[in-house]
Amino acid sequence: MNILDWAVSLEGYLCVGAILFFLGLAAVLYRRNAIGILLGIELILNAASINFIAFSKYRAVAIDGQLVTLFIILIAAAEAAVALAIILRLYRLRETVDAGEASIMRN
Amino acid sequence: MTTGLKIVLLLAELLCVSSAILVTFHPNILHAAVALLFAFLGVAVMFVYAGADFIAGVQVIVYVGGVTVLVLFAVMLTHWLYKVTLRDVRKKLIVPIVLLVILLVPAVYKSLVELASSSQNIAPERVAEFAGSAKTALIGQALLGNYLLPFEAITILLLGALVGAVGLARPK
Repeated sequence: MNILDWAVSLEGYLCVGAILFFLGLAAVLYRRNAIGILLGIELILNAASINFIAFSKYRAVAIDGQLVTLFIILIAAAEAAVALAIILRLYRLRETVDAGEASIMRN
Repeated sequence: MTTGLKIVLLLAELLCVSSAILVTFHPNILHAAVALLFAFLGVAVMFVYAGADFIAGVQVIVYVGGVTVLVLFAVMLTHWLYKVTLRDVRKKLIVPIVLLVILLVPAVYKSLVELASSSQNIAPERVAEFAGSAKTALIGQALLGNYLLPFEAITILLLGALVGAVGLARPK
């Protein structure tokens, strides 16, 4: 099985999805910037979308996975809008976007 | 599928992975956000190859046209050019890398070896016919049929997110 056939197979899609998921997880852990954490979350959601699309083509051979992906994309858009509004609010209050500094509710 | 088309898909997958590496590890958050744009485009190409043409269009419109622009706006609003350095504060890399190795290796192994060996008997002609057929009408019918309840729920969610975002971001 050469690499070109591997790229169009289910395994190729799943590998790209797994790599994107763990890179997103690493971004969530590694970044201090709240916007960087948001970028990691977007990567994780995209990885889930890839898996749904791949299984919908190669296993189910139906469009249900594509509909779930549609809902994932819409939820991600709503989540990004609210998260960025919170980040801008935090910046206005504390002059920082460092996730470690957002400790107003800690004490 | 011809060899040229397969090469394009392989390049798109490589674009996805390399852009995602930049998103995770690039010290400059603005560059990371631009790299995320290319990762989204690569994912859209992968969707086209999996027969999800409509979803690929939605991906380009919502992610590339919407979310990335929103993120870039947020980066530029929160980092004034002469006030704060754009550089992200570096944390220790050891925890994410150890986690990556511990979790990624079994996941990739499982998707490479076990799923490939346990493949069900689905005719390749059926998969190819599914990938080549038009999906937009089917998706529209499903949204107003079996998926009506999630469709309505997501409209309420989007309305709530819209109002909530405006309420949070408004001055005073």
